Amino acid sequence: MNECILIVDDDPEIVAAIAITLEREGYQVRRAYDGLQALDQCLDPAVKLILIDVMMPKLDGLSALLRIRERRNLPVIVLSAKSEDTDKILGLSMGADDYVTKPYNPQELVARVRSQLRRYTALGDVHTETRRGLIVNGRLSYDPAGRVLRADGDEVKLTPTETKIVDLLIRHPGQIFPAEEIYRRVWNEDAFSCENTVMVHIRRIREKIELNPKEPDYVKVVWGIGYKMEQHG
Amino acid sequence: MDTKWNNTDKDPGEALEAFVAEEVREAMGTGGAAKLLRPGGRVKALAGFLAFFLGMTLVLSSLCAAGDRIVWERGPSPRWEWDWQETDAFRDEVSRYLREFLAIGAGGEVDSYGGLWAGYDNTYSIVQEEAVRGWLGFGSAAEAATAVDMGMVTLSEQDVPAKPEEKQEPDAAYQADKNVLYFIESAPETEAERKIYTNVENGRDFFLEAERLRYENVIDWSQVPQVQKEYNFFLTFRDGKVSIVHNGQDVDVYAGGIYTGDSQWFVPGYDNFPISEELEGVTVCMAVRQTPIRYFRTEQNGGVTSYNGFYHIAQQVDENWQFYRTQLWLFISGLLCLGLWGLLWKATGPANRKIASWTAHVWTEVRFLLVLGCAAWTFLPGLLGMDMIYEILYSSYGNGGYSFVDWGMAVLRLALVNFPGLIALYWLWWLLRNDHKYNPKEARRSLLRPFLGKLQALFRFLRARDLKRPVEKRLARNHAAGLAALGLLALAELANLYALIYQMFFSGLGLYLDGEILFIQIPLALLGIPLFAALLRAWKSRGLARDIAALADQVESVRAGDLERPLVLPEDADLRRTAERLNDIQAGMRAAVAEQTRSERMKVELVSNVSHDLKTPLTSILSYAELLRQEDLPPAAADYAKIIDQKAQRLKTMVEDVFEVSKAAADQLPVHLERLDLNKLLRQTLADMDGVIQASALTVKVELPETPVMITADGKRLYRVFQNLLDNALRYALEGSRVYLRLKTTESAAEASVRNTSRSELPEGVDFTARFVRGDASRTDGGSGLGLSIAKSFTEACGGEFRVETLADLFTAIVTFPVEETGERRLER
Repeated sequence: MNECILIVDDDPEIVAAIAITLEREGYQVRRAYDGLQALDQCLDPAVKLILIDVMMPKLDGLSALLRIRERRNLPVIVLSAKSEDTDKILGLSMGADDYVTKPYNPQELVARVRSQLRRYTALGDVHTETRRGLIVNGRLSYDPAGRVLRADGDEVKLTPTETKIVDLLIRHPGQIFPAEEIYRRVWNEDAFSCENTVMVHIRRIREKIELNPKEPDYVKVVWGIGYKMEQHG
Repeated sequence: MDTKWNNTDKDPGEALEAFVAEEVREAMGTGGAAKLLRPGGRVKALAGFLAFFLGMTLVLSSLCAAGDRIVWERGPSPRWEWDWQETDAFRDEVSRYLREFLAIGAGGEVDSYGGLWAGYDNTYSIVQEEAVRGWLGFGSAAEAATAVDMGMVTLSEQDVPAKPEEKQEPDAAYQADKNVLYFIESAPETEAERKIYTNVENGRDFFLEAERLRYENVIDWSQVPQVQKEYNFFLTFRDGKVSIVHNGQDVDVYAGGIYTGDSQWFVPGYDNFPISEELEGVTVCMAVRQTPIRYFRTEQNGGVTSYNGFYHIAQQVDENWQFYRTQLWLFISGLLCLGLWGLLWKATGPANRKIASWTAHVWTEVRFLLVLGCAAWTFLPGLLGMDMIYEILYSSYGNGGYSFVDWGMAVLRLALVNFPGLIALYWLWWLLRNDHKYNPKEARRSLLRPFLGKLQALFRFLRARDLKRPVEKRLARNHAAGLAALGLLALAELANLYALIYQMFFSGLGLYLDGEILFIQIPLALLGIPLFAALLRAWKSRGLARDIAALADQVESVRAGDLERPLVLPEDADLRRTAERLNDIQAGMRAAVAEQTRSERMKVELVSNVSHDLKTPLTSILSYAELLRQEDLPPAAADYAKIIDQKAQRLKTMVEDVFEVSKAAADQLPVHLERLDLNKLLRQTLADMDGVIQASALTVKVELPETPVMITADGKRLYRVFQNLLDNALRYALEGSRVYLRLKTTESAAEASVRNTSRSELPEGVDFTARFVRGDASRTDGGSGLGLSIAKSFTEACGGEFRVETLADLFTAIVTFPVEETGERRLER
């Protein structure tokens, strides 16, 4: 757990705060204050992950991200005050592995950093796992045969009902299931006023697998329609 | 006095009296006085109206009466002379006397019409006399001369009054009649046969003296004792010539020497009007009294006869002027009355209104009949009376064809023949106008009203159906119809022109203005000018119709949002300027829209930047607050750090909320609309917030339908709406009370409401959906003050309606969305 993390932000106090938080978690930290410095620093092979701000002088975060991607393959988390969906989509499509909005929650940030590092260092790559018959979706990998769900490589302890729900959702990523359908499939009973029951389980699943259960990345509510498992790369 | 005027003068007078009596009764009556505010106003109104009525009637009737007289007097001998001795009638009478005296002097028969014999009661009017004279129709001076020559005029039987005995000597009436003094000396075949007739004592001396004095240039006859000053007209016939002295002045009897139609004196002595042999040597002297007296004579049989030709003439001229003077006075007094009305003009309103209130009861049909009847009464006698037609034709025919003036005069005469009818028509018109002015159109009564209503409805229906068609089609149809009608008219016009030209140049008649030509063909020919102009215009307006259609299309497309493509009409199009104006408006709109878009974008960018700039320091605050909390602090400092963290968290929420509300206000909130079940969304929201609800001291009562309620909205935004509403309710509701969440559907709308009893008193007149507004003014709770504002702007961004209702402490937020029925059915399947 001595990975080196490069923190890039034009606000030195923010860099310092993040550095303190991460150092307390046992990470090594490097600092950069604009995009050009980030480019210099990222060449150091010790750097295993980059936290980068978007709006910076000299070279902005997204441009820097593109150039970094030319040189190195390592997880990059974009840290931005821009909180709109379009900004997030833009950031992710430019090659960011995750997108955290400012003001961030330090615990969540640490969790995301850890998650990214685990995926890139501890776990095998996606293709190998898929070949082994696992369903891989971002941080999650699911073994349909053993009905085992792992998040960042750690097995998630699920109740039988939760497992059935996860099984249904993860096998059909992106597909929306109304509560009635989930209920019928999982409980094998006709659905009647099942919204609360399903929602309770969904919430528990979220708490177990999501980094920020209030803003879930995987198990999502499609308001007015149903629930779905978001597909991640 | 003319009897006609006598009668008609009474009619309006009586009507007026009756009207005044009616008005006074009404004004003084018990019922009427209370209706007006001030008694003075009522009197003023009455006086004003009476002045108007009197003035108008007097002015109109005097004008009409004078006009009538003037029009009817128009003829061969207009009586516009102050002096009766200057009138044609006087000259005719003198000429007739001379004829008779000559006859007497020649010893012939006294046989002239309207003779000098007593016993013939001459009461006919001068107009008739003139007519008869005209009827005799002396075509030329020679014929007339012959007629006089023979001392007689042949008359048809019915025209000659009962023929008296032939006389050779002047009647006793002559002797007595001192209106005319005469002295006749017969032709002296022998001295013994010379006869003298006179009604003056020593007549020869009288006239000789008169003549002598004349030749001795003694002008002032009144100084001559023998000559009574009452006589101011002297005529002497001697040696075949007539000489006249009038008011001491010689009169040029034979002006020009040749008798023509225009000659004033119809007496022998002109070059073309010689006397016969029998009259050679006859001398006639006569004097006419300046102011004739009327003579009567009792007959043996007890009857009374009179012949007073000169008296009647003088009387009539006098009466004529008397009449005009009277009319002038009536006219002036009428004007004075109108002036009084002008002073009281403002106060007359109530009277007019009162009259209008009476006339309102009269059916439209009755009004129509009244006007028709009055018009008939006015014009029909003139149109139907043969005398009138005869008069008109006679008076016009003499000029060899009818002139415009003749026909105009004829029409005027027809109208004036019963001018009280004209005045009555005027008052009818005034009543109708007054009625229209004060009575609303709906209040008008008509027997045909129901029928008319249906007819109007039919027209409206047809018009509405017509309006549905595109404007260019309607224009094209109207244009075709108009062109066809104009074309037919133009053909008729060409035929008429051909007929006219043929008649003028090829029929040999020349330009003879008979009625048909004058009243039909020439007006038709004149109509041709505007007709062909209209045809040309109609033809040209084809282009106009096309342009209007293009313009209408352009207006439609601009309205639909096409701000790029301008409308270009041909250089010479009538609507080119209009099209250019429209293009200007279009360009203006385009610029305005671009400007608005730009400013909206700038606004959003600004909000976005501000939000970013706020979040950056906030990030540091939150980060260090968190780090501070992890330090080992004294208990008080740990509390402070916790408070800093809490408030910074709240600031974060507010910044995010402000950002979203600002975007929504700038219409820049991205929404992802999809079909969703509002019912399910509410259940999900409740399930999602279950923990918060359970933790609160409140109960949420839910009333949701069993079936899906499909709407189109952005689910995430709508979730925020209901989350905010429930959050709001939980935050501000009275502890232990119930919050009601309801979803009701009608045929077209779904209405979700969140209702709670407020903990604190709800201020009145506050827009809860405005930004940073809260039920209580303390602002110390955790909310950003933007909850309802976000709910409202998100709802509206999704196409719904948001409103808040308060009733005492009851607070209700209502979200309404249009329902898609088809979606519901599809889902059920």
